[in-house]
Amino acid sequence: MMGGDKTGRVLLTAYFAVVVLYLFFPILIVAPMSFSDDRFLGFPPESWGLRWYEAYFSDPVWIDATVRSLRVAAVASTLATVLGGLAVVGLERWRTRWRTALTVLFAAPAIVPNVIIALGVFVVAIRLGINDQELTLAAAHGALALPFAVMIIGAAYRQIDPTLERAARVLGAGPVRAFVSATLPSLMPAVVSAFIFSFFVSFDELIVALFVMGGSETLPVRIWNDLRFELNPTIAAISIFFVAITTVAMTLAELLRRRGANQSRV
Amino acid sequence: MPAADRHSILAAPGLLLLVTFFVVPVGIVFDQGLFDPAFTTAHFERFLARGAYMAVFLNTLRVSVVVAMACLLIGYPVAYFIVRQPPRRRPVLMFLVLVPLWMSILVRTYAWMVVLGREGIVNGLLMTLGITDQPVKLLFTTGAVYVGMVQILLPIMIVTCYSAMTEIDQNLLRAARILGARSGQAFARVFLPLSLEGAVTGTLIVFILSMGFFITPALIGGRRDMMMANLISSQVSQTNWGFAAALAIILLLATVAVLVAARLLTRRLVYAAAKTDTP
Repeated sequence: MMGGDKTGRVLLTAYFAVVVLYLFFPILIVAPMSFSDDRFLGFPPESWGLRWYEAYFSDPVWIDATVRSLRVAAVASTLATVLGGLAVVGLERWRTRWRTALTVLFAAPAIVPNVIIALGVFVVAIRLGINDQELTLAAAHGALALPFAVMIIGAAYRQIDPTLERAARVLGAGPVRAFVSATLPSLMPAVVSAFIFSFFVSFDELIVALFVMGGSETLPVRIWNDLRFELNPTIAAISIFFVAITTVAMTLAELLRRRGANQSRV
Repeated sequence: MPAADRHSILAAPGLLLLVTFFVVPVGIVFDQGLFDPAFTTAHFERFLARGAYMAVFLNTLRVSVVVAMACLLIGYPVAYFIVRQPPRRRPVLMFLVLVPLWMSILVRTYAWMVVLGREGIVNGLLMTLGITDQPVKLLFTTGAVYVGMVQILLPIMIVTCYSAMTEIDQNLLRAARILGARSGQAFARVFLPLSLEGAVTGTLIVFILSMGFFITPALIGGRRDMMMANLISSQVSQTNWGFAAALAIILLLATVAVLVAARLLTRRLVYAAAKTDTP
């Protein structure tokens, strides 16, 4: 630590605590409200209960939107993870002068504002007559999540020692078998982590869904349409429900990613 | 290397997805904005002719610059604090910073709506403390947009700064101290120049992400806080696709232009800092 600069250290610690409080502030407020039994939003709640969770789970409109979002996210994240994983292997082993350009291309959807991609996908979908279809949205979300999958799997792939796979080849395994038995196992944590991450990219996405999906709402679209008219406490319950799920899933993804990194280093 | 080149086929499916759902759509946006059906600059003239559209564009730039700077000023010391902790404690502290990032932007914006509303907690607190006797207008203001956007983007800044700072050999600081530098000097002449690159990258990432913001300005900003993404969306819902596309082109080009300019400018800055501090 920086010498005897104790006041500085205390100040910096206090500062850190304030910033973390700011970052957590929304969750800290919404969590108690979601367990309120009052009829209107108020803080702190006067009575406690699960009425807004019940309101969520018993309303077919909310459940429909949730299930649709889950379906779209499942397809989108599968696409992003499988195609992203294949692309990592392909690009890493392919000696070409296009490699830099391709790497940039695979990162680009993460940089270009989503509203631009949304507008383009919307126009393309209308021309092809495939707007208002879950598969179209899932594919578009897959493209949006692809950069993250490539980044996560790529980082793990570059850590892996290629000797093992080469040894498998020398011992007579075919190229696919050698990859599956020698390289894939140490890549698996990153693959799962990429899947979870891509899942939430899709599950959270609003603008593309807003443009592409006419009548059928995804969960973010439903929340969006609801928020513009009233502050519905049901949204507090939904928020906390999914914050809990996301935190568990992302923690898992992070642990897996780390374990993967450690394994391949050993 | 024919054996290695066969692997290129593995990248093909991903490439196909990218081309269909990213390259072609972005191409179509350019086509829609520039051709109708013959080449035209009408949409861009419309943008320039009306002050209201220009105001939205300038507001987008201003908000993005302010948010990026605020994130840098708030986030850099946080990253510094974490990196100066013992290595075993760092992941836990980073975890605290990262958890809010996993909350949907919609949800976080919703929370600010609840907090800053007329009957929200902040107003309740102000009135209980007797600072005001009437609710203050906090929601639907520019300030609310800043508070909301910085909260959303700050973790990204901290992560970027932090990963650059972990690359710095902590022994360099110790060496500077041993050689007689006071702690402030060691920071300013050793740590700061070495971490500048990461800080610049973080600022640019936050800036890019800000330029495309949609949810937060729409839900907690006022009428004059509209950003380009909101304008594009409202033009789409009025089926003015050509004009929406032109706005999208302007947004994309402005983002790229600022990015390139900032890179050129800061590269010089980073080099200058490095030169003066390594005799």
